[in-house]
Amino acid sequence: MITPPSYHRHQKSQLDRTQGGTIVSFTTVRHPPAGFPDAPIRIGLVALDSGAQVIGHILGEAPMIGDRVAPRMRMARVTPQGLRIYEVAYESLAQVSVKDHFVFEGYILALTGPSGVGKSTVNNILCKALSEYVSPVPILTTREAKKGDDGEYIYVSHEEFITLQDRGLLAAATQIPSNTEDRMYGYCKENITAIWKEGRIPVVVTEMHLLQGLSRTFGRRAILSCGLLPPGRSRRAMLSQLLHRLRARGRDTEESIADRVKNAGADLDFFTQRRELFDHLLVNDDLTSVVDALKGHVLRTQEERA
Amino acid sequence: MNGELFLSGHGQTKFGEWWQKSLKDLLSEAMSAAIADAKISPLSIDAIVIGNMLGETLSGQAQLGAMTSAMLPHRPPALRVEAACASGSVAVHTACALLESKRAETVLVIGAEKMTDSDPAHVAAALMGAGDAELDAPSGLTFPGIFGLIAARYMHEYGLTREDLSLVSTRHHENAASNPFAQFRNAVKPEAVSESSLIADPLRLLDCSPITDGAAAMILSRTHRNPICLKASQIATDTLSLTERPSITSFASTRDAFARACEEAEITKEDIAHLELHDCFSIAAIINLEDMGFADPGTGIHLYRNRSADLSINLSGGLKGCGHPVGATGVKQMCDIAKQLKASKQRYGAAHNFGGAGATCCVHILEQTIS
Repeated sequence: MITPPSYHRHQKSQLDRTQGGTIVSFTTVRHPPAGFPDAPIRIGLVALDSGAQVIGHILGEAPMIGDRVAPRMRMARVTPQGLRIYEVAYESLAQVSVKDHFVFEGYILALTGPSGVGKSTVNNILCKALSEYVSPVPILTTREAKKGDDGEYIYVSHEEFITLQDRGLLAAATQIPSNTEDRMYGYCKENITAIWKEGRIPVVVTEMHLLQGLSRTFGRRAILSCGLLPPGRSRRAMLSQLLHRLRARGRDTEESIADRVKNAGADLDFFTQRRELFDHLLVNDDLTSVVDALKGHVLRTQEERA
Repeated sequence: MNGELFLSGHGQTKFGEWWQKSLKDLLSEAMSAAIADAKISPLSIDAIVIGNMLGETLSGQAQLGAMTSAMLPHRPPALRVEAACASGSVAVHTACALLESKRAETVLVIGAEKMTDSDPAHVAAALMGAGDAELDAPSGLTFPGIFGLIAARYMHEYGLTREDLSLVSTRHHENAASNPFAQFRNAVKPEAVSESSLIADPLRLLDCSPITDGAAAMILSRTHRNPICLKASQIATDTLSLTERPSITSFASTRDAFARACEEAEITKEDIAHLELHDCFSIAAIINLEDMGFADPGTGIHLYRNRSADLSINLSGGLKGCGHPVGATGVKQMCDIAKQLKASKQRYGAAHNFGGAGATCCVHILEQTIS
């Protein structure tokens, strides 16, 4: 039971928990107790560098016992009373590149947001308006070409995609869960570095896994990361706005829309849980103002470089 | 043990999902069975000790001492004790104190738990009361989760395989088949354990003891003689939270309680013919055997692979086969040891019961006087 006073006391020890350490053991609790969201939670026992041990959430794709971990403060959940619980989670560093110095080759402008929020539209307008500074990066995908695709995709077969991934030619790759189609997406390193060579800023349209992949490949500092949120005062309002937009654009079947809205919920949570991955969060209620804001950010980085 | 303590009688309800019985009904049924078995007048009971963990949280019922006492015409003094899953054996330990100090001559000990009224998420949250509310619970950890951490670490350290671990539940189900009071009397193949749904990796559904209703009672007395007597009753404790322990693949409380109990009964572990151990999760059974010295660290599974002729382990079916109404388990284990000794004509048996992840551990040793 967490109440405001007990949470307040707990907060005092957060600093002690904010340390690196090693995973002693971890498990995935498939049936959380009452008061927690009904979704599996990965929890581990971590031996901190101070010598103390703590129990906390474990992040990372494939953690192992003995992995080094780094602390990540994030929102764990909201209690039924509306209390926002922030907890230190521990991210396994084994899969993450631990290079200290990424060679800074240039900025990437990343637009992240749930399906239907208008990433592609913003991307198109921005690339036209700032054509001398930015170029879109084509997305590699294994899904079928669809009516409404606007030349932003390179279509490859599943096998080709896996080969590219195995050979380390992809800057980021992800598989988006779907019942209706095979949906792997990724970015070729080559496409991004080519744009840098021209002295321009590559613009990528990403989602949570691709964004993390890019920051692992090029370093978080190289990414000018903008999150796009749908308008709406509550999560529910935002989701219904997305549903409306997805239906209105008429590109997807009803089944695929259901899929996309399901994933969108997780995308919205990602903004709060991994706030450190975003430089700017923009609400897409008016295209012109969003594009203007982005233009501002892009021009500022260009000035910095000059 | 200060003077002779006889286990004059014992009884229990069938363990299971008893939607038609309340906590009160369970208490009353077990009490009557024990009194009938002891063949004594209820009026000779001069104290009652109840072991129960979740009365308030799951049934909204505290004050179990007075409630049980009121079931007897002379309303003897009564009290309730709690130590999570070890509540039952802590009740026995408390009764020993009353008897040895000559506060009482004959004590009724009851362990009872009513768990199936609530939905599993609430039961999981309530059981987390046995962990550390500040260090363990805020992350959403459950007891299967705690033992998942322990199992993952154990497998990492000793290379225990999934197939090996599955053997534990298979054996317990096999034993439960011949126990009329057990919740699950069906055989379970090791493959079925390995394929059951994941609860907290690497633990699966059939690695976990179930949520159960049930009660068990016994009469301990200085005067009502019986061939079965209590030779040792020991409690040991450890930290509530796993985070404060140097190792999570061994329980210090088990080691301490068992060593002290053997010393008190003046026996060695080789004298023990029947053992009921606390297998709340399959991995716990393996670790307990190692902590009590029946196997070296990392080799507890050998006793499940090759059964020993001199030592029976969880012949009743254990917590996995019989069910685990938390407060009742400690008392029920001792009832089972008494039955096993009578049937096999052996001399010594031990009951090992712990609460939480070994935060409290009780070991009791029973002796059958062979005439």
